[in-house]
Amino acid sequence: MCLALPMRITAVDGALATIASAGLEQRASLMLVPEAQVGDYVLVHAGFAISVLDEAEANETLELLCEISAFAPDDGVEADDAG
Amino acid sequence: MTQADELLRLAADLRSEARPGLTFMEVCGTHTMSIARYGLRELLPDGMRLVSGPGCPVCVTAMADLDRVVALARLPETTLATFGDLIRVPASRSTLAAERAAGADVRVVYSPRDAVQIAADEPGRQVVFAGIGFETTAPTIAASLLEARARGLANFSVLSMHKTMPLPLKALLELGETPISGFLLPGHVSVITGTACYEFLARDYGVAGVVAGFEPHDVLQALLRLVRQARPAIEIEYGRAVRPEGNVVARRLMGQVFEPSDADWRGLGVIPGSGLALRPEYADTDAALRFAVEVEPPLEPAGCRCGEVLRGVTDPADCALFGVRCTPEDPVGACMVSSEGACAARYRYRGIDD
Amino acid sequence: MTDVNRGAGASGERILLGHGSGGKLYRDLVIGVFVKAFANPVLERLDDAAALMPQGRIAFTTDSHVVQPLRFPGGDIGRLAVAGTVNDLATAAARPLALAAAFIIEEGFPLADLRDLCASAAATAREAGVPIVTGDTKVVERGAADGLFITTTGVGEIVVAHELGSATVRDGDAVILSGSIGDHAVAILAARGEFKFSADVRSDCAPLWGLVEAAVSAAREAGGSAAGSAGAADGGAEALHFLRDPTRGGLTTVLAELAGEAGLGIEVEEAAIPVSPAVRSVCDLLGYDPLTLANEGKMVVVVAPEAADAVVAAVQTTEYGREARRIGFVTAAHPGRVALRTPFGTRRVLDMPVGELLPRIC
Repeated sequence: MCLALPMRITAVDGALATIASAGLEQRASLMLVPEAQVGDYVLVHAGFAISVLDEAEANETLELLCEISAFAPDDGVEADDAG
Repeated sequence: MTQADELLRLAADLRSEARPGLTFMEVCGTHTMSIARYGLRELLPDGMRLVSGPGCPVCVTAMADLDRVVALARLPETTLATFGDLIRVPASRSTLAAERAAGADVRVVYSPRDAVQIAADEPGRQVVFAGIGFETTAPTIAASLLEARARGLANFSVLSMHKTMPLPLKALLELGETPISGFLLPGHVSVITGTACYEFLARDYGVAGVVAGFEPHDVLQALLRLVRQARPAIEIEYGRAVRPEGNVVARRLMGQVFEPSDADWRGLGVIPGSGLALRPEYADTDAALRFAVEVEPPLEPAGCRCGEVLRGVTDPADCALFGVRCTPEDPVGACMVSSEGACAARYRYRGIDD
Repeated sequence: MTDVNRGAGASGERILLGHGSGGKLYRDLVIGVFVKAFANPVLERLDDAAALMPQGRIAFTTDSHVVQPLRFPGGDIGRLAVAGTVNDLATAAARPLALAAAFIIEEGFPLADLRDLCASAAATAREAGVPIVTGDTKVVERGAADGLFITTTGVGEIVVAHELGSATVRDGDAVILSGSIGDHAVAILAARGEFKFSADVRSDCAPLWGLVEAAVSAAREAGGSAAGSAGAADGGAEALHFLRDPTRGGLTTVLAELAGEAGLGIEVEEAAIPVSPAVRSVCDLLGYDPLTLANEGKMVVVVAPEAADAVVAAVQTTEYGREARRIGFVTAAHPGRVALRTPFGTRRVLDMPVGELLPRIC
């Protein structure tokens, strides 16, 4: 386990951060990563940031997640494409 | 090259480089889910076996602990706060969902901090948090307990059923039931622990381990690394999140609030030192001490082979109850009801050709 | 709570038990709120039953609405109540003819809120081209209802001559989805505030008769050009086989039920199923599967393969169908089961979701 999502810190208020990811906004505690700052990407689990990610690394995960959910209006499927 | 292409290339490399007869254990339930969800078994070489291990915190919670949670939920003026994962797990005679329907105040929270807030908002009630999870989650409970204390909340307590990861791996290897060539080590637990705690696997048992991320390419990349190791070693594939030293702050907070204790693992029995108990300084927030609840002797469901599944000895499909008497809709054991239990993953994500 | 019933528009007015007891208070409420909002000649007669003149086969359906909170981004219980029943009628290819709306109101409910919700229901009904011709009002004691429950019942005129349904679906049929999934469920989840997040998501709650009508016309045209197809004035749309809206239980439930009932297999392409980035983020964070989340403004359309392109194009011209696309097909393989093809070419089975939606940490 466990579920954790890379999210970007958009604001910090003491030990609480506002974090965002593609249209989702939430609060998370920075008690476990006190060095994290606005603009950092953090891995968020159960309402806590548990690790600071390198921006490039965070984008890597987000890209992997994105490709799986290809939100592209032009995509479609032809019955005869299938195996 | 798209991700899909790259994944297929990794799979091709794996097929050409892996010798037959390798068995790898994925320790973490979220890995089990990922592998099943993306159908990764289809991409593996024929001779390679992936077995699930004891990394599902719900699945390894002992029946006696589940019964204690149910008993606490029944207390008057008490709110039982829990992660969603526990709601449908069968205890000996009930589930939290059933207790809620019968009138218990059971509330699902996403974060333990939300449970602390409930305690702050409702001073007339006792708020008990059901603490499950490994090292990824335990620090969040520790931090929440400290927050409750700082806010002067006397009505918040935790029932700690937390466990730590490296020791059950040792226990599995000692049992020697299944020859394990290597471990897919848990990605997010390792964010907290770092990798030093796994070194003994390679050093003392000659078993390799790679800390893997959860996306399909992470899993295949990690398997490839396991296959390519000349000598067994501990490596990190999930470098974008895991550092060898782990999260020192989180471990310090954990150490401040918890101490090692003996824990009863479903399927593995008692593993000394593998649990986390609240330290004596935090006894006042220990739900096990604050509330005297009577719990009848636990009932293990007949025919349930969760224990063997958790040790990687039995494949879910080999359990007689699997898919017949035990389904996600009507589960017998925790491995089926937990969203990341090996049985649930196998059932939900079974291949179309099964 | 004050026990005063001033004239319409006074602030602080609330629903009293007396409003449900059939006397003058009740009549004032019916006329002052419901008739005023829904404004149509049939309703204004205030008969106990509305007389209608349906043409041909009719579809008949009912739905109760108990959503909390009553208002959410993208809609409210009033809009939901109308759209839900219009959409159920639409799955039978029935043009909505008339709706009934029964209100169960909790004592103490603010009158201003009731007016607003009725205005929303009325606007949605106007949009769908259907009058609310009759209804009922009950008031229950404080605590006996969650503010407001609405039950809507609808009658519609079926515009096709053939039977739609799982028995009509065939091997090779195209499975079309009218747009992104998970929006309604996530909007409600955010609005309920239990898990303290905000998301750039609005409920997709909308009446879909226009969308279905476009699909029927396109199927009719595509069928008309196929050899040997001759039908009655309302016929010729035989290329259209099945319609269902993925509400509770989501897309997975619709597909799993269809496969089970039809005794056929279905295969869908994960990459073709539109999920908005915000919905995806919420699902990844809380551990939900977007395929099992409720929608209130989407339609699954299963058509003969030769009509698929035309139906997709036609649905894309409608207000709520712009993101429509083919997502899969019906197959004789793996009868009764739904396969999802991942972007990596592997496949797995889609089962109906079990139990309530719960966030997880694992």
